[in-house]
Amino acid sequence: MEKVTVDTMVGVLDKRMHRQLKQYLDICARCAICKDACHQYVGTGDFKYLPARRAELIRQVYKKYFTKTGQFVPALYEARDPDDNLLQELYESTYGCTGCRRCMYFCPFSIDTAWIAAVAKGMLIAAGHGNEMLGQLADAAIFKGDSPEMFHDVLVEGFKGIEAELRDETGDDTIEVPVDVKGAEMLYVGLAGSHTIKPAARIFHAAGQSWTLSLYEAANYGLFFGDGEKAKKIAKRFIDEAVELGVKEVVITECGHAYRVAKIFYESWAGEKLPFKVSHILDVIDRFMAEGRLELKPGAIAEPITYHDPCQVGRNGGLYEAPRRIVTAIAADFRDLTPNRAEQWCCGGGGGLVALTDMNDMRLKSGAKKVEQIRATGATVIASPCENCRLQMEDLVNEYDLDLKVMAVMDLVVEAMD
Amino acid sequence: MELYLEITSIWGVYLGIAVFIVGMAWRAYQWATTPRSPVALGMFPKPATGAGRFTKMLKDTFIAPQSAKIEPVMWAFAFLFHIAALAAFVGHLRLVQEFTPLKDMLGTQGMNEFAAWAGGIAGTIMMVAVIFWILRRTFGPYKQLSVPEDYLLLFLLLGVIIMGNHMRFFGIVHSETYMEWFRSLMVFKPEIPAEILATTTGWSLGTHMLFTTLFLIYFPFSKLTHAMGAFAANMTRSE
Amino acid sequence: MSDAPNVDLELDLKGLLCPMPMVKVSQSIKDVPVGGIIRAVATDAGAMADIPAWAKSTGHEVVSALKEGSEFVFLVKRVK
Repeated sequence: MEKVTVDTMVGVLDKRMHRQLKQYLDICARCAICKDACHQYVGTGDFKYLPARRAELIRQVYKKYFTKTGQFVPALYEARDPDDNLLQELYESTYGCTGCRRCMYFCPFSIDTAWIAAVAKGMLIAAGHGNEMLGQLADAAIFKGDSPEMFHDVLVEGFKGIEAELRDETGDDTIEVPVDVKGAEMLYVGLAGSHTIKPAARIFHAAGQSWTLSLYEAANYGLFFGDGEKAKKIAKRFIDEAVELGVKEVVITECGHAYRVAKIFYESWAGEKLPFKVSHILDVIDRFMAEGRLELKPGAIAEPITYHDPCQVGRNGGLYEAPRRIVTAIAADFRDLTPNRAEQWCCGGGGGLVALTDMNDMRLKSGAKKVEQIRATGATVIASPCENCRLQMEDLVNEYDLDLKVMAVMDLVVEAMD
Repeated sequence: MELYLEITSIWGVYLGIAVFIVGMAWRAYQWATTPRSPVALGMFPKPATGAGRFTKMLKDTFIAPQSAKIEPVMWAFAFLFHIAALAAFVGHLRLVQEFTPLKDMLGTQGMNEFAAWAGGIAGTIMMVAVIFWILRRTFGPYKQLSVPEDYLLLFLLLGVIIMGNHMRFFGIVHSETYMEWFRSLMVFKPEIPAEILATTTGWSLGTHMLFTTLFLIYFPFSKLTHAMGAFAANMTRSE
Repeated sequence: MSDAPNVDLELDLKGLLCPMPMVKVSQSIKDVPVGGIIRAVATDAGAMADIPAWAKSTGHEVVSALKEGSEFVFLVKRVK
């Protein structure tokens, strides 16, 4: 590999060398306790997916360029320059990582392998080996944000079409999909397409909530691509919109990573305090129920149902109970997965993997644990507040021949409203 | 043997302790002067208060309940090893200062018996744990993941422990003599007692100290800095 | 419509949710020659913004994007 490429990669590592990263790279004992925490390693048995191994590739470069002992006796640490083999494995193991952080949960030192993978993606991008598809998706999203004049009318027209369909479906002519409403209390950030907009509109309508729909989708392919600047720009689209409309609360739809970006990352990225609260839609529905603003029929869902904690909503977002309160309020037969909450198995669809067709085979194999968990409950419906989880689980239904309906929690709520 | 002991059990001790202290301080300095990630890396559940997070950090570091759940056998060996290592370390503090109240209570004979048992058990546990780890690293993904550093550290530890156990189980020299040797080091008038020189125990002590010196010198440049870093990293988990 | 361009590849993206229509178009663009046209039919409204945005940021060209009933029909030209 050319020296300039090596230097560029090392430069990225240097720029992103924060204290935690340094500690992670210094202290990992390679005990491999993380081995059985990873759904991809467990599902494929492929060494490159062992969490400590993913980090080890970066550690080898770190030892060579950032430690005296690694320079002095490289053999001791297998310290080395990045080469084509390293790049290839790094590409597969870091773009393959869903960022679920289940390995971090079980690690005796709480090493955040997903964070190391994020830095690794930055190094790959600098070397010209970033994932092309995720990069394109991120660029398209940024382009949309940069050219509102080009997309505004098209988008609004689309939303009005959704509103018309909704009025047809419900027979209720007062139901709205409001856009660009200054002074609305909430800005709801959905995903492109009607499936996240329709149920939310019905729920806000039923609760009498003042709201407005964001022009932009919550999804953030900049995060999956591994480019912090792009990720920030993509999130900034709806953050700026919220500031301009003067809303009190930004509500993220049933999407995992977008919630974590808005709730946990954005303020640190931007270095500023946001003038509004950030919530997940299920938090808001839970609040409506507690305030008595949403009448739901208990036991409305008769089939045995289970709930999957998306990693970015649960372990990495802190939302475990609100979704369960909602589901148990409307389900006649709720059966939780084992293990659940912080120990929940990743379904395998995170990290943008559902958009990466070249990793399909691994992705489907990595769902084996999730399938096992679902089968053990005997549930015929699974609800999960994350689009990537739902797409993955729908693929798992086909691949593993499951008798299972995959649903968003909002859709269940709408069923219980009728 | 005199020269061997002079190198390993006098100058080695000074060198080992000095490199260990300076090295660890340097490592701590490096960490402290690297800026923290601006993004919070914590995960949930996360205690709401600072005191709660600190307590959780201590629990995660000393007990590692999550690790126990996912790989109980490995956890048991690691936990017992660390307890035994702590016990062995505390036991060695007798060399610095006799545990007088305990000795008064047990009597000289009783104290030596207690030390024999406690040291023997700790040494055995450590030896079994290290052998387990060496064997674990000889197959499958554990082997694939291992780098020479891992084996070197285990080999050094094994040397320290086996020679320590050798003195404990086969030695004929009593603790008073070791105390005499170690206190001479502490007052910088190093001397190897004649009793050690006169017996084969000298070889055991010298080799025990040779491994200990190498272990201490390498410690700050190895993954063993987890002795400090685990606290910081487990704090990050709850931030 | 005699001036309709020749379509080199038909893509049925009906039922796919965002961003999959964009992903499929992006993957298939390499399957047509430079100057070739893909005709893609999607049902997800988000595609109306996403596919043109993808084309602009990757340097390809959306020849037309029309709503036909509940479907969205795109003609995408490979430029490079």
